[in-house]
Amino acid sequence: MKKILGILLTLVVLYGLTAALGDGFLGAYNQEKLLERTALFGILGIGVAFVIITGGIDLSIGSVVCLVGCGLPWLLVKQEWPPAQALAAVVLVSASIGLIHGLLITKLKLQPFVVTLCGLLVYRGITRGFTEDQSQGFEGGFGSLRQVVTEKIPVMGGFGIPWTWVILMLVAVVAGIFLNKTIYGRYLRALGNNEEAARFSGINTDRMVILSYVVCSLLAGLGGVLFVMDVGSAQPSDFGNFYELYAIAAAVLGGCSLRGGQGTVVGVVIGAAVMQVLKNMINLVTWIPTHIEFAVVGAVILVAVVADELVKRTVATRRARKSS
Amino acid sequence: MKHLLKFLAGGLGLALILSGCGEKKAERSKFAVVTTGVASFWDICKIGAEKAGADLDVDVEVLMPNGGVEQKSKMEDLLSRGVDGIAAAVIDPINQSEFFDEVAERVEFITVDTDAPDSKRKVYIGVDNYDAGRMCGQLVKEALPEGGQVILFIGRLEQDNSKRRRQGVIDELLDRSRDPSRYDAPGAPVNGEKYTVLATLTDQFDRAKGKANAEDMLTKYPEVGCMVGLFAYNPPLILEALSQANRLNTVKVVGFDEDAVTLQAIVDGTVHGTVVQNPYEYGYQSVKVLKALFEGDESMIPANKFINIPARQIRKDTVTEFWADLNEKLGK
Repeated sequence: MKKILGILLTLVVLYGLTAALGDGFLGAYNQEKLLERTALFGILGIGVAFVIITGGIDLSIGSVVCLVGCGLPWLLVKQEWPPAQALAAVVLVSASIGLIHGLLITKLKLQPFVVTLCGLLVYRGITRGFTEDQSQGFEGGFGSLRQVVTEKIPVMGGFGIPWTWVILMLVAVVAGIFLNKTIYGRYLRALGNNEEAARFSGINTDRMVILSYVVCSLLAGLGGVLFVMDVGSAQPSDFGNFYELYAIAAAVLGGCSLRGGQGTVVGVVIGAAVMQVLKNMINLVTWIPTHIEFAVVGAVILVAVVADELVKRTVATRRARKSS
Repeated sequence: MKHLLKFLAGGLGLALILSGCGEKKAERSKFAVVTTGVASFWDICKIGAEKAGADLDVDVEVLMPNGGVEQKSKMEDLLSRGVDGIAAAVIDPINQSEFFDEVAERVEFITVDTDAPDSKRKVYIGVDNYDAGRMCGQLVKEALPEGGQVILFIGRLEQDNSKRRRQGVIDELLDRSRDPSRYDAPGAPVNGEKYTVLATLTDQFDRAKGKANAEDMLTKYPEVGCMVGLFAYNPPLILEALSQANRLNTVKVVGFDEDAVTLQAIVDGTVHGTVVQNPYEYGYQSVKVLKALFEGDESMIPANKFINIPARQIRKDTVTEFWADLNEKLGK
């Protein structure tokens, strides 16, 4: 809980500020949209958190989102595959991508940064190749399939919980149990703290690293499916551009250390929410010019990280004083 | 070191042999069209350019770079490989002019779709985006005859055609005189007697962001009367946001360009109309003009250095015919 206090506080402050300054922020529609966007980016964030906890990094997420986001409508509309097969294919492709990353990193001892950077280039290139650089979309069809994303569970007064949020919650709960309640979660963290020590204590570190990359790519693939179902179409040259950085930012905001060994799933979800509330704020608060969005997002993340660090230090000194 | 030298020498030899294989029997003139990016709009342009290539018996290559940096390097590669003329769509008219002047000194150079008026390009082929914007504004007036709130959505405002297109819409809605150099800053609302242009939202080609922009504006301005999507992919994103908010038909939509979703929505009645350019003709005329220039014939260049290929308004009554013609050109 202490670990996510700083980021939770940031979220509450931003939320309060936007509610006070923005037009229509608290309306049911806007709240649904915030949940939906947080869910989409949160899923990517949880994926990359697995890799970051082991001390690795995955830069290929945006390109996997692109590959799957363009690939799914391409299979369904252009190749006329049945939905079940098309979905199975994109899941298989995503998992294989993670497996290849993991194998290259553990067996060939390549650096994760390099492997996934190449992935970033390769998957986008492949997508632009097989789609012939054409925009891919559902062309008005597959309404029942897309309901997963477009529908919501009605709660009250026109407000409903989007299904994407339910999917995020499922992913988060499974990921949380895995990381905190199973021995494998502890292995992952141990490995991130000190890989050699973990290996000497009998953990099959290679298998755990491979697993983390498979989870990351699978969730990037799931994100890609949900993104394209939400937006309706995808352009191979720019779909998912920079999304790996949004995912990494959400994970780091949520308390994952890029040095490995640390991170909570709840923190990542809150981190993703902070980013989305911020973007929403820039659109809803009239006097903030929308074209300085990146500057605002960057500055707020920096302030949040600094505040978090200061809080941690104060807590640590107090604890040291108490024990002495 | 010795091995390295041998390796390099071998590589060089191989390259020479391969380049020898690629030589063509008869020397045909070569022209290239370089776009601003990747879009279905440019695919239609490509088909037009290739048709001209076949008709006029010249080689034609259409390159679609991603952004200004890649555009420059692709054009440099074209110069290295040797082409006789280039038609380029301009991303940044002021800052690219210097490079375009270099190109113009070496080969025939014209601009297409978007212009760089201060460069040494021989001619500009395209539409006047200010006038096309005004046509789009007329469609908004038809959709909202009583007046109301209007919000504009566009990919980015850096390029000249976006600025002029947007300004055309605003000036038409405010019944101002024709002045393409006018510029209302995008941050503040522009108030007219009947119409208020509340905001202009950009998305830098990020579709999720483009959709989020439309959603956020529905939240911020629930009374909005008409949403206008000024880049090809904007109207479909607006429709997606409206449909998820159950506000299709209550908020009017006016589009630009000919995305299949936009055209279908005009058939269905959820989009009032769209303004289309003629990318096929852009491609065709580019190659035709480049060939004439290369052969020393400058007779087709008008005094104002602008070959106008006018835009058209597409409404429910004309959409079917237009779409059929488009599909025929695309070979669908």
